[in-house]
Amino acid sequence: MRVGIVRTLRIGLFACLVAGASWQAPARAEDAGASTSTPVADPWEAFNRPVFAFNEVLDRWLLEPVATGYDFVVPDFVQGSIDRFFDNIRVPIDTVNALLQGKPRDAGIAVGRFVVNSTVGFAGFFDPAREELGLEPVREDFGQTLGVWGLGSGPFLVLPVLGPTTPRDAVGLGVDSALAVYPWFVPAAALYSSRGTALVNGRSLLLDQVADSRKSALDYYVFVRNAYLQYRTALVEDRKTTEKQRTEGSEDDDLYRILPGY
Amino acid sequence: MTISTASFRGTRAGLVFALLLASLAAVAQADEGSAEARAVVASTSEQVLEILRRKESPTDQRLGELQQIAYQRFDFPTIGRLVLARGWGQLSPAQQAEFLDDFKRHLSLDYGRRIDAYTDQKVEVLSDRSEANGDATVRTQVHGANSGLVAVDYRLRKVDGQWRVIDVIVEGVSLVSSYRSQFQEIMSSGGPTRVLQVLREKNSRAPISASAG
Repeated sequence: MRVGIVRTLRIGLFACLVAGASWQAPARAEDAGASTSTPVADPWEAFNRPVFAFNEVLDRWLLEPVATGYDFVVPDFVQGSIDRFFDNIRVPIDTVNALLQGKPRDAGIAVGRFVVNSTVGFAGFFDPAREELGLEPVREDFGQTLGVWGLGSGPFLVLPVLGPTTPRDAVGLGVDSALAVYPWFVPAAALYSSRGTALVNGRSLLLDQVADSRKSALDYYVFVRNAYLQYRTALVEDRKTTEKQRTEGSEDDDLYRILPGY
Repeated sequence: MTISTASFRGTRAGLVFALLLASLAAVAQADEGSAEARAVVASTSEQVLEILRRKESPTDQRLGELQQIAYQRFDFPTIGRLVLARGWGQLSPAQQAEFLDDFKRHLSLDYGRRIDAYTDQKVEVLSDRSEANGDATVRTQVHGANSGLVAVDYRLRKVDGQWRVIDVIVEGVSLVSSYRSQFQEIMSSGGPTRVLQVLREKNSRAPISASAG
């Protein structure tokens, strides 16, 4: 099994390095608000838009209605517990990635939280580690790890069913699912139903946010693209800046400059 | 009384003195400007939370109060220019005025929609820092009942002696950047008239009282 992980890591890394050499992350700086003179770099927009539209239909006709019904039937605290349960079994992913990003302290916190919550927290349905011990959740993924290692995200990409991502984060997702460990010990039927539960439960917690965003966005595709890229950039940048303190980037300067003459 | 109490007092006085020194040093370092901005964010957060908690008052009245605070504390003319960036110059003065007006309404509708979703939240102001261009950034954390911790940063700019918010950054996602990319898209496909049209349509589809709840 360890060989399996190492091999997946290697393949993932190789794919990233090859790809990274050619695309150099044009999308990131662009949509994080930077330059205003050039059009937004979204070279795959012609592919992304139709896939995005397809995913929207899928969500509006299938996932959202199911999640709405689920939200109506299932009490809030149960939704929260199920969410925490799935967060808890993510521990190998969070731990390994924290280590790969050179954050042994966070890795320790992730393991500590897992031990506390799996026992005192009834198999992770509760979060005494946070409530009693003040240990905040550690959430790391391999896409972030690659970013911390200096790899650019690549262009914005929308995958069918999986949704918004970038080549870097898509590879990260593949690596993380290999790191998840528990799928290897669970029969296929149980795995699918647990994935389904996680999906519906997760969506049911976002009903209002998604509805609000759809209502307020002027161009929902652009809104999602920008939010996704900004959010992922922030996650990666934060890791970098804790070490060397925050220094003002040129991105910010440009974002907040009123252009002369206007 | 006894020697031990006296020495305890002495130590305590020493401690207080040390803390005072430390805080003075911190103030000198942190810059008066960003500390002022921080105070603005802290007091505004308190005002807003107070209104949100007052569930017994009619929604419309509370929305009005929130809107007033927003108009006071947000620098909409600056935000409008920032989100349009180069596009701003493509608008005629009349269009610019119309844009600012409609965008202001759009943002307050956007925030107002969430008023009844409020469940007991707390705001903690974490830090403030001065930016290279004279702006200030104030970092806060919102503790929600079921949402956990949400990082909310405010960027403020001092204009005419008043610190006003020019951007809100939620979990690393900047409002200015978000709208800038959307306006850029609309501007490049349909020009200023299309920008104004999209805003008008959005605003007319979301009447403020019907959207709450």
